[in-house]
Amino acid sequence: MNVIVIGLSHHTSPVELREQFAFADVKIPDALKSLREFGIAGEAVILSTCNRVEIYAATSLEPAKAFAELKQFLKTAHAFENPLGEEIYTLAEPHSLQHLFKVASGLDSMVLGETEILGQLKTAYKLAHQHKHTGARLNKAFQRAFNVAKHIRTHTSIQRGSVSVASVAVELAEKIFSSLAEREVLVIGAGETSEKVARALLSRGAKSIIVASRSFERAEILAKEFGGRAVQFEDWSAEFEKIDIAISSTSAPHHILDRAKLEPLMRARKNRPLLLIDIAVPRDIDPAVNFLENVYLYNIDDLQSIAADYLKQRKEEIVRCEQIIAEKVKPLLEMKKVRPQISTDGHRLKPMSAES
Amino acid sequence: MAWFTDRHFFLLAVALYGLSAVYSVFLWRRGFRTDDRANYFLLLAAFALHTLAMFLRGFNFKQCPVNNLYEATTFIAWTIVAAYLVIGLLPRLRFLGAFASPILFAMGVFALMPALDPPHAAQPDFSNGLTSLHAALILLAIGAFGLSAVAALMFLTEEHDLKFHKLRAIFSLLPPIQRLERVMNGLLFGGILLLTAGLSIIPFLPTEKSDGHLKNDPLLPYSIFIWLFYLVLLVARWKFGQGGRRFAWSALGGFVFILLTFWGFLLLSPIHHP
Repeated sequence: MNVIVIGLSHHTSPVELREQFAFADVKIPDALKSLREFGIAGEAVILSTCNRVEIYAATSLEPAKAFAELKQFLKTAHAFENPLGEEIYTLAEPHSLQHLFKVASGLDSMVLGETEILGQLKTAYKLAHQHKHTGARLNKAFQRAFNVAKHIRTHTSIQRGSVSVASVAVELAEKIFSSLAEREVLVIGAGETSEKVARALLSRGAKSIIVASRSFERAEILAKEFGGRAVQFEDWSAEFEKIDIAISSTSAPHHILDRAKLEPLMRARKNRPLLLIDIAVPRDIDPAVNFLENVYLYNIDDLQSIAADYLKQRKEEIVRCEQIIAEKVKPLLEMKKVRPQISTDGHRLKPMSAES
Repeated sequence: MAWFTDRHFFLLAVALYGLSAVYSVFLWRRGFRTDDRANYFLLLAAFALHTLAMFLRGFNFKQCPVNNLYEATTFIAWTIVAAYLVIGLLPRLRFLGAFASPILFAMGVFALMPALDPPHAAQPDFSNGLTSLHAALILLAIGAFGLSAVAALMFLTEEHDLKFHKLRAIFSLLPPIQRLERVMNGLLFGGILLLTAGLSIIPFLPTEKSDGHLKNDPLLPYSIFIWLFYLVLLVARWKFGQGGRRFAWSALGGFVFILLTFWGFLLLSPIHHP
């Protein structure tokens, strides 16, 4: 049996199309059962995430025939009647296995090197395995993919560093403060990115969030969501004595915080370190405040350039990762040559319990 | 192995400090992105040789090896590296070694100058246990100030990077600057405790040597000045929140001042250099 892949991903299709082919978790076991009952696949796993819908199948059909039937199956299962072109990709061995390894390692993800996909892939495999729709070929392939993902994570820098503005901000805070546990965060102006930064800081242990927004109602909603408190926009500077991190993203056309205003505030807070994250455009904070002692100012460009540099580093690792994958796929293909093929007569397949 | 003296062991230790200093330059140029384990082990090996050299000297003369400028300098360097090896058990603080090794190397080269190690007198200068304790406590204090200066140097480097070389700051594996500030503070506090203990022994020291000289000994006001300087530094931080860059510059400046002046005052002292 050959392992083949058919699917749509963020590389080939927009979300409007992907969402039409998405499988709800509860429907996946039935879909897998159908694939086997129709004789399209002897073993199958369906991976359905926000960025991709893929069917991994082990089949004894000729790849071309199998791809045609799988494509039809996808269209029928989702009552999709329009023609499909390059939005759907099809891969046969060895590319199918290489693709599986790449997906597991986050090399095919929208955010290069992200790890969430590995968990999603494990869940998809577990679901198929529990319903006994996997056998020797896919068990071996998936177990090996998980091992390769782990190997790549530990032996390359593909997952190192933060590639989003929010996580870069958290990393910066961790460079300044010994621990985020006792840190109070002030969010001035409630934009989407500042929300994400605040959320990321909270998830890393920040003590509390104070929200100041021109719309007090909006500030209250956000503060409630974060388990923090809202303050009137005019009063945000009164909070500076307590806070350690300020995230600013107002739509003010001028600086709302400058050196003259911050200097007395720093004295009041006994010169404790202060991290200022200015996400607003035009900027909310006068760059000159960075010259004050114990003040660390980062604007959106700083954060984005750090994230971009991390991404660049990750991209530089792709070649190394692909070499690892190419090496790890080889034994899997050679193993297939010497192993007897398992029939696809619809009988229950014996799952493999351990990976060598 | 009579031809292989304690000074030879110390020379080997200094060579390792030098090697570590060279390695530190590479670490610095790479932006402190890789763990500093290699440097830690280099300094550990140097420490073993350094300790052996001090033991040999101590056993040879049957007293704590703190009698001349060579011994005083090696003792201070030994304190710095010993304290580093403890602090460096924390992976991120291990990078202190990269900042400490050039200072250790420079101190080692300075100590090895032959004029600093004249032959011991028949009657040792420090013939009393309390006198040895006094000297050892003061040198340990200077060692603690030395390591706090190393932490200050690291703080200033990282603080500058955080403000102006933002990419380098975030890619490095250096510890958070707040933690460095605590390390500096702790070492200064330990140093001042040791210095206080060392100075407070003076009234109980044997009087035959100090009699008539103590009032005229420039090392006494010098030591009090150093003690006051660090005390003011710590009080300013504790009482007025004087932290960050100024605190680090003061810790660094204080130790540089000691390095530049201590030997001079020691030579001027009629008690310590009769």
